[in-house]
Amino acid sequence: MLVAIGFAIVFRATRFFHFAHGIVFTAGAYFTFLFKAWLGFPLFFSILLAIPLTTLLGCLMEVIVYLPLRRKGSSSLVFLLASLGMYIVLQNVISMMFGDDTKTIRSGLVKEGLNVFGARITPIEILIICVSVVLVVTVTLLLKKTKMGNAMRAVANDIELASVSGIDSDRVILLTFAIASTLAGIAGILVALDVDMTPTMGMNALMMGVVAVIVGGVGSIPGVALAALLLGIAQHLGVWFISSQWQDAIAFVILLIFLLFRPQGFLGKKVKKATL
Amino acid sequence: MEYLLHILILIGIYVILSVSLNLIVGYSGLLSIAHAAFYGVGAYVAALLALKFHSPFLANIACAIILSGLLGAIMGIPSLRIRDDYFAIATFAFQVITFSIMNNWVSFTGGPMGLPGIPQPAIFGWQINSHYEFLFLISLLCIITVWISHKIVTSPFGRVLKAIREDEIFAQAMGKNVASYKVLIFVIGAGMASVAGVMYAYYISFIDPTSFTIMESIFIISIVIIGGAGNIWGSVLGAAVLVILPEALRFLGMPSSIAANMRQIIYGALLVIFMLFRPQGFIGEYSFKK
Repeated sequence: MLVAIGFAIVFRATRFFHFAHGIVFTAGAYFTFLFKAWLGFPLFFSILLAIPLTTLLGCLMEVIVYLPLRRKGSSSLVFLLASLGMYIVLQNVISMMFGDDTKTIRSGLVKEGLNVFGARITPIEILIICVSVVLVVTVTLLLKKTKMGNAMRAVANDIELASVSGIDSDRVILLTFAIASTLAGIAGILVALDVDMTPTMGMNALMMGVVAVIVGGVGSIPGVALAALLLGIAQHLGVWFISSQWQDAIAFVILLIFLLFRPQGFLGKKVKKATL
Repeated sequence: MEYLLHILILIGIYVILSVSLNLIVGYSGLLSIAHAAFYGVGAYVAALLALKFHSPFLANIACAIILSGLLGAIMGIPSLRIRDDYFAIATFAFQVITFSIMNNWVSFTGGPMGLPGIPQPAIFGWQINSHYEFLFLISLLCIITVWISHKIVTSPFGRVLKAIREDEIFAQAMGKNVASYKVLIFVIGAGMASVAGVMYAYYISFIDPTSFTIMESIFIISIVIIGGAGNIWGSVLGAAVLVILPEALRFLGMPSSIAANMRQIIYGALLVIFMLFRPQGFIGEYSFKK
């Protein structure tokens, strides 16, 4: 869900699919692993160090690749391809450095889950839910209430008009990347705490993020959060009827249906048809 | 020598794949991240027919083209309603679903275990079993693919495709049925990709879903883009360069575990670099400008 929201913010601000967002998510988990297992820092401290690093990584992507592309006025397809390229490079760097096998940052044994409404939930899952809710609320407030949030929304709406009104659009977009990457990094660490990490974990998270953004409606953060939730439920309900291997397929069939029949998602504003 | 032939055969397969994708991406401006899906469908159709019905090679190729073409038509339909990156995401979804079917429908496709023991092909009693004969067959198919593609893009049909790429509404205003052109080019591209799949299945004689992932699709796109979108010879060149380049790493004494990652890093980095400095590729004419 956090991935989806970070992805949504970037998508809104810059109008392209930031695939490399998935690798920021993976990087969050691996930075933590790096500090904890290689340098021997305690877990809490490792997490604190890893989060700013993911923010930095996201900002570097913007500065090194996206900013020059935007200066040249490239189309969104160019952005998409460059982003895919970055994803591939970084994913392979990670698997070269750390190996393809599963790594863990959990300490101690898996604890027996708590019983909540007849479902078993581990403490870490409760933590995930709490952190997600807090961050979603914070980001929503940040976007709606502060001056900076206003600027971000202005840039998302019409970048030229925003620049004319004296908003430094490059800085605002950089800020957008910073926030989105921080969210992704935190999400990556949380997921790694729950189910460990592999170099390819980002792809999965990203795919779910893309689906949630499109189903939830571009530009509507509550919509995206809701979609991420519904998506999770739909996938797990699907498991009751057919086996769990089809989770991805279910998610993407939903995506295709939405793309074809309701590209604005169920809470999004109507998108311009064929912006030519 | 065997090794050299192997590389040439691989280049042949990728030439077919990238030239056919170029028709879709480069000439019609429809960015598709689903080419490995058609490639895989071709491979699976041929493998299943050969294993279950012992049907002849040519019949299998025909079936693969027809089925893949049908799927191509289905894939082309979203392109009528959504555009640009939304369409790219739709093809992405299509790719994931296809992979999911290959990987999970174990009773039919063998699942992650794949399909081993695909027999060697024979055309009218001509048994193809050496690398030389395979190379000959692949080269023949490459030439046919390039020739057909060349015919397509220089024909009035190809000109309409380019018109759609440059300005869809204008093309429509000139009285062209944009919808049918888009679907048709998808059918053609998918059919060609399936031929590459059939050849791959027969050549390796074993297929499993990992050969047809999203990464494979991205690799084919990299070939098209780096070679040059909208130029057939660009794709031929791109295929040769991107297949040979990672092989060169082997001679630098890189262990194979790192070489696989290096290969992906190279084409990922090339993709970014080309997007930054030369979005039209080596000798392409289309740079995704709108």
